[in-house]
Amino acid sequence: MAERLYRANVLVCGGTGCVASGSHEVMSALTRELKNRGLEDEVKLVQTGCRGFCAMGPVMIVYPEGIFYCKVQAADVPFLVEETLIKGRPVERLLYQEPDTHQAVPFYQSIPFYSKQQRIVLGNCGMINPDVIEEYIARGGYSALGKALNEMTREEVIKVVKDSGLRGRGGAGFLTGLKWEFTAKAPGDVKYVVCNADEGDPGAFMDRSIIEGDPHSLLEGMAICAYAVGAKEGYIYCRAEYPLAIERLKTAIAQAEEYGLLGDNILGTDFSFHLHIKEGAGAFVCGEETALLASIEGRRGEPRPRPPFPAISGLWGKPTNLNNVKSYSYIPRIIANGSEWFASIGTKRSPGTAVFALTGKVNNTGLLEVPMGITVGEIIFDVGGGIPNGKNFKAVQTGGPLGGCIPVEHLNVPVDFDSLKDIGAVMGSGGMIVVDEDTCMVEFSKFFLTFAAAESCGKCVPCRVGGQRMLEILTRITEGKGKMQDLQTIREIAKGMESGALCALGQLTPGPVMSALRYFEPEFITHIQDRKCPAGVCESLTEARCMNACPAGVDVPSYIALTAQGRYAEALEIHRTRNPFALVCGRVCPAFCESRCRRGDIDEPIAIRAIKRFMADQELKHPWTPQVGQPKKEKVAIVGSGPAGLTAALRLRQMGYGVTIFEALPVAGGMMAVGIPEYRLPRDILNEEIQNVIRAGAELRLNTALGRDFTIDDLMNRDGYNAVILAIGAHRSRKLGIPGEEAAGVYHGVDFLRDVALGKNPDLRGKRVVVVGGGNVAIDAARTALRFGAAEVNIVYRRARADMPAYDEEIKGAIDEGCIIHYLTNPIEAIVDHGHIVAIRCQHQTLGDFDRSGRRRPVPVEGSEFVLDCDVLIPAIGQQTDLSCLNGDGIATNRDTTFVTNKALATNRPGVFAAGDAAKGPATIIEAVAHGNEVAVAVDMYLQKGRLVNPVWDPPYQFPEQKFNLDDYAEARRPHMPELDPKERVRTFAEVELGLTEEMAREECKRCLRCDLEWLRKMGGATRPVADMFPVEPVKTSQS
Amino acid sequence: MPDEGVLWSSVQSELILKEALSAMTTVTITIDGREVKARAGQTILEAAQAAGIDIPVLCHHPAVQPIGACRMCLVEIEKQRALQPACTFPVSEGLVIQTESPKVVEARKFVLNLLFSERNHFCMFCQMSGNCELQDLAYRYQLDHWAYQRAYPNLPVDSSRQYFVMDHNRCILCRRCIRACADLVGNHTLGLRRRGVDTMLVADMDVPFGESSCISCGTCLQVCPTGALMDRTSAYGGVKEEVERVKTTCQFCSVGCGAELVTRDNHVIRIEGDWDAEVNHGLLCVRGRFEPLYERRERITTPLIRQNGKLVEASWDDALQAVAQRIKAAGNTLGVLVSPRVTNEAAKLCAKVFGTAARVGSMSPVPEHLKREEGKLTDLDEADLFVVVGADLGKDHQVAGFAVKRGVNNKGARLVLVGEGENEFSPLAMAEFKPAEIEQAIVLAQGASSPVVVYGAKAGSELVLLREKLAGKARFVGLTPGVNSRGLQAAGLDKPANLSGVKVLYVLLSDDTADANLTDAAQGADFVVVQTGFETPLMDKADVVLPAAIWSERAGTITNTEGRKLAVTAALPPIGEARPDDQILKELAARLGM
Repeated sequence: MAERLYRANVLVCGGTGCVASGSHEVMSALTRELKNRGLEDEVKLVQTGCRGFCAMGPVMIVYPEGIFYCKVQAADVPFLVEETLIKGRPVERLLYQEPDTHQAVPFYQSIPFYSKQQRIVLGNCGMINPDVIEEYIARGGYSALGKALNEMTREEVIKVVKDSGLRGRGGAGFLTGLKWEFTAKAPGDVKYVVCNADEGDPGAFMDRSIIEGDPHSLLEGMAICAYAVGAKEGYIYCRAEYPLAIERLKTAIAQAEEYGLLGDNILGTDFSFHLHIKEGAGAFVCGEETALLASIEGRRGEPRPRPPFPAISGLWGKPTNLNNVKSYSYIPRIIANGSEWFASIGTKRSPGTAVFALTGKVNNTGLLEVPMGITVGEIIFDVGGGIPNGKNFKAVQTGGPLGGCIPVEHLNVPVDFDSLKDIGAVMGSGGMIVVDEDTCMVEFSKFFLTFAAAESCGKCVPCRVGGQRMLEILTRITEGKGKMQDLQTIREIAKGMESGALCALGQLTPGPVMSALRYFEPEFITHIQDRKCPAGVCESLTEARCMNACPAGVDVPSYIALTAQGRYAEALEIHRTRNPFALVCGRVCPAFCESRCRRGDIDEPIAIRAIKRFMADQELKHPWTPQVGQPKKEKVAIVGSGPAGLTAALRLRQMGYGVTIFEALPVAGGMMAVGIPEYRLPRDILNEEIQNVIRAGAELRLNTALGRDFTIDDLMNRDGYNAVILAIGAHRSRKLGIPGEEAAGVYHGVDFLRDVALGKNPDLRGKRVVVVGGGNVAIDAARTALRFGAAEVNIVYRRARADMPAYDEEIKGAIDEGCIIHYLTNPIEAIVDHGHIVAIRCQHQTLGDFDRSGRRRPVPVEGSEFVLDCDVLIPAIGQQTDLSCLNGDGIATNRDTTFVTNKALATNRPGVFAAGDAAKGPATIIEAVAHGNEVAVAVDMYLQKGRLVNPVWDPPYQFPEQKFNLDDYAEARRPHMPELDPKERVRTFAEVELGLTEEMAREECKRCLRCDLEWLRKMGGATRPVADMFPVEPVKTSQS
Repeated sequence: MPDEGVLWSSVQSELILKEALSAMTTVTITIDGREVKARAGQTILEAAQAAGIDIPVLCHHPAVQPIGACRMCLVEIEKQRALQPACTFPVSEGLVIQTESPKVVEARKFVLNLLFSERNHFCMFCQMSGNCELQDLAYRYQLDHWAYQRAYPNLPVDSSRQYFVMDHNRCILCRRCIRACADLVGNHTLGLRRRGVDTMLVADMDVPFGESSCISCGTCLQVCPTGALMDRTSAYGGVKEEVERVKTTCQFCSVGCGAELVTRDNHVIRIEGDWDAEVNHGLLCVRGRFEPLYERRERITTPLIRQNGKLVEASWDDALQAVAQRIKAAGNTLGVLVSPRVTNEAAKLCAKVFGTAARVGSMSPVPEHLKREEGKLTDLDEADLFVVVGADLGKDHQVAGFAVKRGVNNKGARLVLVGEGENEFSPLAMAEFKPAEIEQAIVLAQGASSPVVVYGAKAGSELVLLREKLAGKARFVGLTPGVNSRGLQAAGLDKPANLSGVKVLYVLLSDDTADANLTDAAQGADFVVVQTGFETPLMDKADVVLPAAIWSERAGTITNTEGRKLAVTAALPPIGEARPDDQILKELAARLGM
């Protein structure tokens, strides 16, 4: 085997993923190019098995440097050869880029996807040409077989495998060595060794990649096993959908036989082992060992009860050892390196590595191998590179369709057989599917259940019928036809299947549903009670994702369609049926709708908020006087004039109730008026919409504070109000909890913004301001401080940029205007001189394990303290409801300062309701508006029917027709919102965003894909089920 | 899917070792708190049954291999994570088992609830209501409502088969029928289509049952626990309490299968195989199970005497008197023909009354090569090669044919056919030879380790050669024609009767049919007596007709081809004034002064 020496090796991935993305073409282009340039003798081209980084395919590595290229296409090849192989320079644009920083990473070892991995069983994958046995041998292949045959007895081989602690990688983790021992000790002359390569989990391709990338390691492992257990014949059961794997296996077996490594008298000893391939037809259940054996025998692939176990009575009734591909592939390494080596990797009870196929909503999809004991979060966020498009992680499904999901609160769980089982997930054979916030867990678990039910062989009743019944129930729930009783029935069926089904398929079929129920039960309940799919996935419940995503359910497609036609008044009228604050929300709404817009899946979401603002602005000249209903005798007091209070007031007026709004401050609008700076929301614009409520006949009493000027008793007993709505918001700033916080110069964010809004302008000229926090209040405070002449504004935030809760465009605006943001920094002390703050001592943070929000917990870096000079410290780390106004009113509250309410938004005191931030904690305007709508319905039902009910505000959707050809707008792009120049705006409170022009707005409307119309067509006239106004239990007064 | 599931545990590993070590020893286990001795290798179900502990089953049937599919027999075993099926779980020393614990009862109710939700089980409209194992279990576990929303699947009823119907609406997919068809009959007609909830019972590659390879033996019907398979004659014909059951022997070929006649209101409404019968272990063929119920011949209910050229009703006295008179007068011109369908008792009386002279003989005498009883039917189950000579096992002796099918289809035995023409077994045969090519068959048989030669009436001289060449090597099993030829043989009646010059002819037809030869033979006689259960063309020649009881109305014994004496029991009283053959002969003997 005289090999010539090459000056460079180019390894092109030939795994299935890369082949699909064009690696064959790259390979032939390279061959051509090297030939054209006469480099064939200098550069060796190798097609390898899977390198694992499938998301980036086709990938290649150029040695000796180890330069890693990704997404290489045939067209890139000439330039690549020129630059790298002739001039010795990396091609920057083909290098891997860090998703966050966009920094290019030239070398294979430094790519985070690989750096946390420990590749043992995948060690050869992507390094050798799987079709060339010499390459395997060159990396030590078959030496373990030689060692076993020549230097070890059968018992010694089994002992090494036992001592290594290797647990079967098929999923259940039974001790491999013990299993071998059973087969070895079982009476009988004829024994078999069988490999389970029937990998059928959706999204799993570990076994396939090993066979495709390193087939000889499997053959060697099986041969060693055959020697140990006393078998002369073996079968590899591989599904026929893996043609490349089968092809490579055939080649490998032929080569091994030619070299005397398989067949008769292996390596000259009297040990013979013949290996056959059995192609499976793709039934999932054939991965169950007894079904697999039945299938090899040519019978219907169905499991049978065990005992007898295959070790005693397996293939054709003979003792049979059956292991997974990975289990066998570890064997040569364990024999070669010894049991202690293997046992030293991973954890004590789960030694070795785990191989995962990472797929779904994660940046680095692909195949990876990590030491056991690594946490779930590390796999997803470090190796996997986190969730794409800035979305939030929701769960990861392990163990495939028979596994379970791991929610955000378990990101710190170590990956090993036992820990995963404890939290209701399973190791399985290694599929890992990540889902983000846009995934409906009901639908997700239904997907797996559909698969498992379809793959039930039908032999035993619990699996055959139970799976189907459960699927029908889940289907009903996703269609909005579920009952609360259904959840109980699901649990019953699950219990019956788990204890009664014949094989693991039936016993584990309920797994995904049960773990989804365990961690996401509220989502199921929302489907059932509110007939709503929070993720906007369940088709029957989601006319359009934008409407579904909107907390108030605003009929987005309708007003967009009408705006496109210039029918602004009609558009606004539709908008106001669900949200009377179009002018406000057109400016400051976080636009949940846009984050779910389907157009965003294609290019960019529709600029819904900008369109809304344009539409609402057009009608500024026509003040709205809402129509009110038949006057009713009851009257309602609303405490607080924020978005929740105002919305409730408007709705109650529309129903005909007398309404009085009590506002403690001298201005109405709540946080809209005193929390959002003018440059984002001009006051006159806000007042325009407050006036609508006044025009509807609501009485507004400013400077009238609960607790100071009146009590709830006064309202109900003295003033004759029949109901009270507490919508007092969350206006109290949370404290930092550091020494020196009480010194002069500390100005809490909400107080600061409120004072500014009320005209108490601070003098910050020349001052150095430090804002603490990463939310919108922090950013608003920072930008406001700049506008008051601060010399320097530093924002200190303890986590990373990606974790900042403030809107992205706000953060960008702040940076543009000159704010300096210190990420991963936490204040630990306010340094005070003569009672006044002079500086802040800060400490750098590093990211530790994951907290319940799915973000990494900041961990102080010891010795990293530094001092920031500071004249004014603005803490803005969160708000609470100021409960001091409740003195003696007997309203129960939660620990987080919100009111205790039930689904009817009622407090413990009859007739007193709560809405907005004071009821659900600090949130957005649109959520407060939704609450306002609902609390009005709840109050109405209470006053008219005397009942507490789940309030439903659900005016019908319009579905206006499409007036133009959507195809004409296939290429159209989202417009840029015109803004004031940062240099100019930083000194004024003029509105930063200038609004779209009429042409921009109307053209943008036409990019809308009109999901609502498509839904209407699909549903064939059926309407979306509307939630029931079911009775709600009163709040128990014991809580307080 | 994961190859192991989560079933492996340390307990399981212990079990594996125990299993490996288990020999034929006795173990002690505890069932419901009772210590029970069991044989190692027995299942929990078998051990429990032996101890008189009732564990409910659905897919299990003692005649077929257990598969643990339905999960009705789940029991709680200490140290086992999941419940385990008693029908497959082997006993081992020290097992502690609960058969009706709350957990077990819950699991069984769950299974029953699922089954009732799966297809369309409306007991009150089902012909099996009151006879149904599923329904019995529903009562036992007090199912009083539909626990799960029902699917109301739209399922077909396959009525394409002549004798029985498959109603998929009532099928619980227990697969008893499939196993019966495959394991017991060796026919492998039934199977499953699709999987999971779409699983359906099918015949062959999903053809209508009537067009399939089904041979209508009805074994599937007999094992069906519900009303999914129903026969047309007994459907809605009465529940357990309203019918009577009589064990007897099938009288439609010389195999002599044990059968149970199910009767109601003096009608046989169904025939079932007797599971306890040694000859057939519960199996029957279409000729024994269904065809007798479709008898179209009219019965003779009173004695008839020809007067003025017409047969008119007469009393037994007159008829017997007339017959006795002519017989006495006939002397040497009396000829007697006896059907091989008569019982041993009737045959003996016949010999006593008429003697065994040359003019007395069988309607269809046994060929010379079958005269000697040879071999046992149980030999068939031990063959690794069959040589079938001069027999069509698809038509005659079908239950013996099942053994050949089991051997060929289930155990890999080979089949060599010797004879003329194709038959149902041809597709199973490795070779077919003409009698002249018998040497080739002999070579094959000599190469086998346990060859069995099965021969029938049509075997010829080739059998001689086979006997010679395979002496000591092969076992021989002969299959006689007729039902009770052996009985006639024993009575000395099994020979052709010489009818030349016969003036008085007595034909003891019993419930047999008369062929044209017989009618010709009767031409020459002056006086013809026909003792028959059914109307027959021979009556045109008859001067006296004596009404005989038929197979279901008579008692006694018959002797099968092996020489085994088998009891025949009357399930019904004879119709009208009909009398069993032996009784008629007795009375005739009295009138003849014997």
